[in-house]
Amino acid sequence: MGIEKMELVSLVGQMNELDQCLGKCCESGCFHIQPAFSSASAANGLTLLNEKNGYAPLLKTFERLAVELGIELKETDYSAYSPASPEEFSQRAREISESFEEANQKKKDALQKVAQINETVTQIHHLKGMNINFEDIFSCKYVASRVGRIPTDNLAKLDYYDENFFFVPFETQDLYCWGMYFCPEQDKALVDDLFHSMFFERVHLPNFVKGDADNAIKTLSADMTLQQQKADEAQAEINRISIRVKDEMLAAYSKLQYLYGTFELRKKVGYLSGKFYIKGFVPIKDKKRFNQLMSTLETVSAAYMPPDADANCTPPTILKNSWLTRPFGMMVEMYGLPNYGGFNPTAFVAITYTLLFGVMFGDLGQGFLVMLLGLIIGRKLNRDAGGMMVRCGLSSMVFGTIYGSVFGFEDLLDPLYEQLGISFLPLKVFSKTSFILLTAVAVGVVLIVLSMLINIYIGFKEKDYEKAIFGCNGIAGLIFYSSIAVGLVGTIMFDVKIMSPPFVICLIVIPLICIFCRVPFSLAVKYKKFRLSADEEEKMTIGGFIVENFFEMFEFVLSYISNTMSFLRVGGFVLSHAGMMLVVMTLMDGASAAAQPVILVIGNAFVMAMEGMIVAIQIIRLEFYEIFSRFNESDGVPFEPVKVQFNAQTE
Amino acid sequence: MLESMSSNATVAKIRALHGRMLTEENYREMLARRSVPEITEYLSSTRRFGDALKDIDPMTVHRGFLETLLEKENFDTYIRLCRFQQLDKLPFFDFLISKSEINCLLMLINSINSGLDRSYLDYLPGYITNYSGLDLLELSRAESFTELVKLLRTTKYYKPLVRVALAEDGTVDYTECERQLRTSYYARILNQAEKSFSDEEKDEMIKMLKDEINFLNMINAYRMKAFFGFTPEQIKLHQIKLPGVGKKLDNYYELDTPEQMLDWLSRNEAHQEFADGTKIEVVMQRNKYKRLEHTLYRSFHAPVVLYAFTQLCDFELSNITHIIEGIRYGVDPVYIENELLVC
Repeated sequence: MGIEKMELVSLVGQMNELDQCLGKCCESGCFHIQPAFSSASAANGLTLLNEKNGYAPLLKTFERLAVELGIELKETDYSAYSPASPEEFSQRAREISESFEEANQKKKDALQKVAQINETVTQIHHLKGMNINFEDIFSCKYVASRVGRIPTDNLAKLDYYDENFFFVPFETQDLYCWGMYFCPEQDKALVDDLFHSMFFERVHLPNFVKGDADNAIKTLSADMTLQQQKADEAQAEINRISIRVKDEMLAAYSKLQYLYGTFELRKKVGYLSGKFYIKGFVPIKDKKRFNQLMSTLETVSAAYMPPDADANCTPPTILKNSWLTRPFGMMVEMYGLPNYGGFNPTAFVAITYTLLFGVMFGDLGQGFLVMLLGLIIGRKLNRDAGGMMVRCGLSSMVFGTIYGSVFGFEDLLDPLYEQLGISFLPLKVFSKTSFILLTAVAVGVVLIVLSMLINIYIGFKEKDYEKAIFGCNGIAGLIFYSSIAVGLVGTIMFDVKIMSPPFVICLIVIPLICIFCRVPFSLAVKYKKFRLSADEEEKMTIGGFIVENFFEMFEFVLSYISNTMSFLRVGGFVLSHAGMMLVVMTLMDGASAAAQPVILVIGNAFVMAMEGMIVAIQIIRLEFYEIFSRFNESDGVPFEPVKVQFNAQTE
Repeated sequence: MLESMSSNATVAKIRALHGRMLTEENYREMLARRSVPEITEYLSSTRRFGDALKDIDPMTVHRGFLETLLEKENFDTYIRLCRFQQLDKLPFFDFLISKSEINCLLMLINSINSGLDRSYLDYLPGYITNYSGLDLLELSRAESFTELVKLLRTTKYYKPLVRVALAEDGTVDYTECERQLRTSYYARILNQAEKSFSDEEKDEMIKMLKDEINFLNMINAYRMKAFFGFTPEQIKLHQIKLPGVGKKLDNYYELDTPEQMLDWLSRNEAHQEFADGTKIEVVMQRNKYKRLEHTLYRSFHAPVVLYAFTQLCDFELSNITHIIEGIRYGVDPVYIENELLVC
């Protein structure tokens, strides 16, 4: 268990094989691509291939075609689909578009007519109050008239125009005023233009509309039905074409997505003298397979280097976990991955999380249910979450057995222990409150000390002496914290006078001084030079140094105390769990025989849901604040193998 | 304490409204449409503009009217927010009305200058007339700039406009009118912010206003240099000048070439290189967009948040207009998308 070893790969090849090479990188599923160079100074004449992606407009075209044909775009096998260049795709898009253009146009025309007629019918409804024959109005020789609606906000403007017209409103609503305007025939064009500029929406009454409003509505409704039929027929034709071209559309779109995606990757590819340069990381375990894939390309050569060969590239991190600890990897990722070469804390988290959950939520029956639920969730929803629940459930069962608690029945296992002759079990929670709380604090001390040891290990590995030796979580901090803990336990619990002057000076005062002066001390060890600040350009005065470190020391000491006391919650939840189940039992005792099973089930379900959730969150808090913060830098880069994602952007 | 709580309610309301604004995803979906009716239909299906567009017919609505309705929705939202906790009682809060009035006056001046006597009325947004202290419809009777100034005699716009000299042919320098009106607008609201707000509110508001003025000046200066070859003195003459605003821009105005100006902007304002063919307005406005969103979520003061929100609404409207125009003229959706003002 650690962090997967990587190698930096540099791929060089002729430009004609670039697309195939990128395709193979995607296919490998193990290539973490990096920009060919990260700064102009590192370019050495290389230029990035920042070309316009010619497949982007084609994707949009195919998306539009899919919308019009009612095809749902999904990923499909396109290996048999031959077009590859943008021109070929464009040609196919044109052909498909032409194949249903006529039907589509028919449908659009029919629907537009339906909309127009609908609008006309609505308009005529507004004109019902006129009680005038339409022919009488529209047959005027010297007077032009228009029916329609104008935005209400624009009505007031009409008075300020000098043109020769008048407007007759029929019905005023929130947004529009329905009405009709009249003007001399010779001014028609000018007045039409004026009303158009005021967003007057004219309704064209068809010539066949005769008589009064009622007659017109009847005629128009019949025409609307006819147009709707035409639209339906055209749609049926489009559907037929859609079925015919669906497979091709899906294959073409999937291939386009792939080509678009690989083309986008060109933005990270360098170009120099007719050759391309690709840089990235490959896990050592996949190197052979990756190499085999690359060897199928004629001009492409792969050079493997150590992961730190290029200072501009940060190697990505893959956590290497066993089946037992793997589900807890998601918690480490949630907090932030360690850097490459750092420490993988998953196993530590797995052990501590499982143990703490069992301690805080110890119940044989409930633990069993959590485990069962975990198995279901692991299969159906989320493998990692399910895996965590299974492990936590098992731990809960073990500690439930120790507490003698089964679904809140605290005496159910007593006869078993008596028969086995184990006198110190089960552990009756309420009779050993102090023991439980002190044990919780002791667990906290142990976990904090372990976290410090991990930090010291990482510090030495990274040759960071401030972190490993002089820091508050380094050797100095460890000695200071452990000495205080031992001193207090010895003095208070065992009445041993440990805190003698030599003990205090050597194990408390000197480590404190080391922590106070951690920066100059570590600089002295590393560079054999005395300086108050790690930043060479910073002018740190002695006064500034003392003030800054005084407050930091204050924070360190406070954090030792608060972090240790924080573990009291572990004991608190042991008591709280037992207390809540006691309430359920008391309620059950007071209820009728018929209601008792119901109360037992609801009570257990409630406690499991509420307390299980709270305990899970509290442990995450302990892990992140009290443990992780002592050693985990979380500045790692996640390993993201290059791939092309299918992402259809239609409604 | 009570005042602060009341302000918090408006801030919360504005943030909730901001959550309904169109997202990048919405714009992308709009770009998949082929015609204005389809875009209208899409907009009327959104929570943001659904109510405003519920009575229109997407098939027949005029593009200009659609844009007016969207503008009206933004304006109505602003009015509702001001009335929500009676913020409109403070003179500062008529800032959007003042801004709209200035736009109307500039439209009228343009119309007078070009002799298009009716175009002002055509483009005058009808909804403004209900809120404006000016009789914007009556102003349409002005046939010359002198008549317009006479009609404005009793208003706050008289002083800035009376300073502008008439040319021999009776026209007036439009850019000078714009500069005068905008300068007086910013001077007025800066003064109101200074007088009416608490220290923290005042500081945030003044900073935002100064940023806005600097932004306008920077863009204008670049355009003057790049497209009209103005000298530094000419550029300085055409800037919005107010006490304590834009001192750091003096070096920028002095630069000799547009390229140097771009370089200055990329280092000091945009904090990114301007790629070839990139419009500086787009990059700068995207930056401004980010800053406004940051202000909207960071500030607890209603005037600051409201001011930022109205500007974000303007950006949103500009994006919609951009998409509508692009679709109308058959522009490549990828190109339209690149020009959108999004973070």
